[in-house]
Amino acid sequence: MSNMKKPHITVMRSQLSRARGLGSGQAGVGHWWAERASAVALVPLSGWFVIQVFRLAGASQPEVAKWGARPFNTTMMLSLVILTFYHTQLGLQVIIDDYVHGKAHLPAGLLMKGIVFLLGLFGTVSVLKLALAGSTKGRVAAG
Amino acid sequence: MVEFRLPKNSTVGKGRIFTATPGASNVKNFRIYRWSPDDDRNPVVDTYEIDLDKIGPMVLDALIHIKNDVDSTLTFRRSCREGICGSCAMNIAGENTLACLKPIRDIEGDIAIYPLPHMPVIKDLVPDLDGAYAQLRSIEPWLKSDTLPPPDSERRQSIEERAELDGMWECILCFCCSTSCPSYWWNGDRYLGPATLLAAYRWIADSRDEHTGDRLDALEDPLKLYACRTIMNCTQTCPKGLNPAKAIGRIKELQLERKA
Repeated sequence: MSNMKKPHITVMRSQLSRARGLGSGQAGVGHWWAERASAVALVPLSGWFVIQVFRLAGASQPEVAKWGARPFNTTMMLSLVILTFYHTQLGLQVIIDDYVHGKAHLPAGLLMKGIVFLLGLFGTVSVLKLALAGSTKGRVAAG
Repeated sequence: MVEFRLPKNSTVGKGRIFTATPGASNVKNFRIYRWSPDDDRNPVVDTYEIDLDKIGPMVLDALIHIKNDVDSTLTFRRSCREGICGSCAMNIAGENTLACLKPIRDIEGDIAIYPLPHMPVIKDLVPDLDGAYAQLRSIEPWLKSDTLPPPDSERRQSIEERAELDGMWECILCFCCSTSCPSYWWNGDRYLGPATLLAAYRWIADSRDEHTGDRLDALEDPLKLYACRTIMNCTQTCPKGLNPAKAIGRIKELQLERKA
């Protein structure tokens, strides 16, 4: 054991062996493409959302609920929320790959994915609640 | 975590000042990084006051003048002095380039000269490029073909096929690009870096090579290739005016193309 504690060279593996490492992970192109495709999809969705926010400025709660219950608006809102958080997860993974090394890398990625997943789910549930509550109110009012 | 600060034994101190000879009229200060493995001291920056009337026009001329006439302990690599060997790659006035191709008059004020960034230093301006060379070796930068060449001639290419290699065969492997890349600084143990990826695409694009798929397989990795964040420092800094970022983009496109 005492031999282990003496200062000594700990890596004698050749440079080529280090460069080859564990070989190719056979992944990356999917992540890279999904990041770009979701970014492009978010451009019109975000534009649409900003316009809707301005249109609904000063609207009453029932008016917003009515707006949220329209299937087109619900679809657009769900697309926006899901794609936003999907894209967020892809982007934050890149940041973690860049800046968090060693043993912390895997837990950091899991923690980030968990948080982003819950936030995305929260947004999805909120949109659905608005959509379904609006339709219920509509039926009650009509009856 | 990534290191944002230099380790304690790498912080740079002030060094000596070598004053110009009295009567020199056209003096410029060269502030040069100095570190020697032979003692336990931290690196320092020495200042050399150089009379530009006595030397040639390039930064390398100043370095050779310093080594010959001012301070023979200054250590740097140089060979061809015309931008084809890649030996004198270093960080000059904040930019990786070849000392032999960098005119002194292009730089205003003092000229700061450091070794290529984020590589282990062997001495002064000489970086340890063993890891980068091994990465280049790992992509197998040579022709791999199962079809035998014609017995009486070389392997032929059309004019168009040969044109595909323009912008890549000119690379002299000075590693200015790789060492300017933050992704290579953070993840250089796995990310191959722009110089090696340009070389990889040079063989992927070669019409005579028959192992294109294997080459794409070997690169399809979250870090080996996809740690490229299109920061574009590589293209910005290349002293030969090449575009490694474009080559990396082409590899990504080909990997996407074969998925469909």
